[in-house]
Amino acid sequence: MPVPPEIAWRIAERVLPAAERQRLADLVFRDEGHGYDAFGLHPAHVALGLALTAPLYDAWFRVISRGIEHVPSSGAAILAANHAGTLPLDAMMIWTDVLRRTTPPRVLRPVADHFVPNLPWIGTFFTRGGMVGGSRGNARALLEAGNLLLVFPEGTPAIGKPFSERYHLLEWRVGHVELAIRHGVPVVPVAVVGSEEQMPQVGRIPFLRPFGAPYLPIPLTPVPLPVRYHIHYGAPVRFDSRPDQADDPGVLSEAASRVRSAVEDLLQAGLRMRQGLFA
Amino acid sequence: MRSVLVTDASTPVGERLVRELLDDPAIEHVLAVGPRPQEVALPFDRPGKLHYLQADLGRARHVRTLLFGPARDLAVDSVLHSALVEDPREAGRRVHALNVESTRELLHLSEGHPTIRRFVLRSFSEVYRIRADLPVLIEEDHPLNIGGNAPQWIQDRVEADVTVCTRMGLSPLQIAVVRTAECLAPGTGSQLFDYLESPICFRPAGFDPMVNVITIADLVRALRLTLASDAQGVFNVPGLDTLPLSSAVLKWGRPAIPVPGGWLHPLYRWRERVGGHAFRYGPNRLRFHYSGVLDGTRARRVLGYEPAVGVDWPLPVREAAGLRPGSHHEDDGEG
Repeated sequence: MPVPPEIAWRIAERVLPAAERQRLADLVFRDEGHGYDAFGLHPAHVALGLALTAPLYDAWFRVISRGIEHVPSSGAAILAANHAGTLPLDAMMIWTDVLRRTTPPRVLRPVADHFVPNLPWIGTFFTRGGMVGGSRGNARALLEAGNLLLVFPEGTPAIGKPFSERYHLLEWRVGHVELAIRHGVPVVPVAVVGSEEQMPQVGRIPFLRPFGAPYLPIPLTPVPLPVRYHIHYGAPVRFDSRPDQADDPGVLSEAASRVRSAVEDLLQAGLRMRQGLFA
Repeated sequence: MRSVLVTDASTPVGERLVRELLDDPAIEHVLAVGPRPQEVALPFDRPGKLHYLQADLGRARHVRTLLFGPARDLAVDSVLHSALVEDPREAGRRVHALNVESTRELLHLSEGHPTIRRFVLRSFSEVYRIRADLPVLIEEDHPLNIGGNAPQWIQDRVEADVTVCTRMGLSPLQIAVVRTAECLAPGTGSQLFDYLESPICFRPAGFDPMVNVITIADLVRALRLTLASDAQGVFNVPGLDTLPLSSAVLKWGRPAIPVPGGWLHPLYRWRERVGGHAFRYGPNRLRFHYSGVLDGTRARRVLGYEPAVGVDWPLPVREAAGLRPGSHHEDDGEG
């Protein structure tokens, strides 16, 4: 949806309350001179994105989040979360939560699989809101510029996780800790409770790969269920390793295990705390 | 740097560079080379300082005569060279000779030259590959566009670039390759400029990549800084303007019409045949889908180059950043 920024802003003005619009005035980003950053983010589209996700956040998923104080108010960091739910609504809810609850407001830069930029309109719309393609160069540049990255170390396979395996973390990749060690930035573990039941898959069509997606999912419900989302941020995980140790597979494996354990603990605590799927 | 040889002097970039070098009191001689007579190529003169030579650098003999004739007599110590054929419609062995073989010959002969110490190749951002899975910010080690499907004008530029890069550190010369962003000006070989010259600009629906463009003023300043430096290596030279393709079209005063991507190739092929325009959609297809912006960190750190002059857009569009109550830049706060 690459609408011009003035139209994006006009839509946001109609939807967002004045206080929220005022907060967005303090948005921090690197303007390359025409209102956009080099990756294509534009604050008017961030506002539009918020206008579109806020009803989902407030009314549909009724998000409750805990531990936002663990997200740094400035400087680079990587948020690592569990991933599931057929559609990347978990990324949108974390993006919305961080934007709304950090002061000054911070735009998360979700790192997406390579097929996402291939999606017409959607890829562009996400890019305007802060998404970047999952290349090492993009992540490096954003961290060096002091941004907050959102990564899902389980990767795209997790989004199609069977219902029976909900809240079981899949293979936990190490790219995020490699970046964290190399750039000396913390990893904030994030657990999302609710997303893994939002849209169970009953099957998939592996030979249909629209725009490079790994498969075409067949969800049980045409729209996501109105489960309640609980987002839990944990204490940042910091690594003592030197930047050159980011090449050591043993160091990376151990660091990734620490992050995975932190997310796992948050998930289990969140599931225990939850009083019901929709409550 | 006291005496400079400029090989693409008859282009707008070459002409501006020659003018600035002539105004530099530290430069004793400028030896400008072009395929056309001086009164057409460089309609000015500076007796004693400007020396113009009409030559066909596609011929090895002309290159040798140039270097071991006027260049030696004027004690040329620095060479600035560029791929010589700007028009992507031109192809064939003759074009390859001008773009690539002339580069190889110039470099080879410069290595054995008694006075030449520095060799600078002006290369282009088109040598880089653009793809969804590659970084948006293009550093100097970004993959090159060496696919067999690339048209000759890109393959030639990549080959000339790589030819020079392979001699870095092995040659007695100080070698630098400057990969510059697209220059929105006529006669610079910019595909984007020719695209924007259409009364209507079609673009792929659903995609709006970020592009970076440079002005002749910044480009020439970057070339002068490179010539004046001893630094070896590859340097990306971005311009001041980084914006979405659709904004560039609007600021150029054209309507940007999104159409299905599959229509663009025949549409622009038709335009090329009927209107004689140089823009071809095929080689630009990926650039019209995915962002690619030169990262100029190395040029800033090593050469001291910082883009300073923006494009004089024909139709300045109200900046959307001004639509919100305030605009904060990362430099102002967050580190």
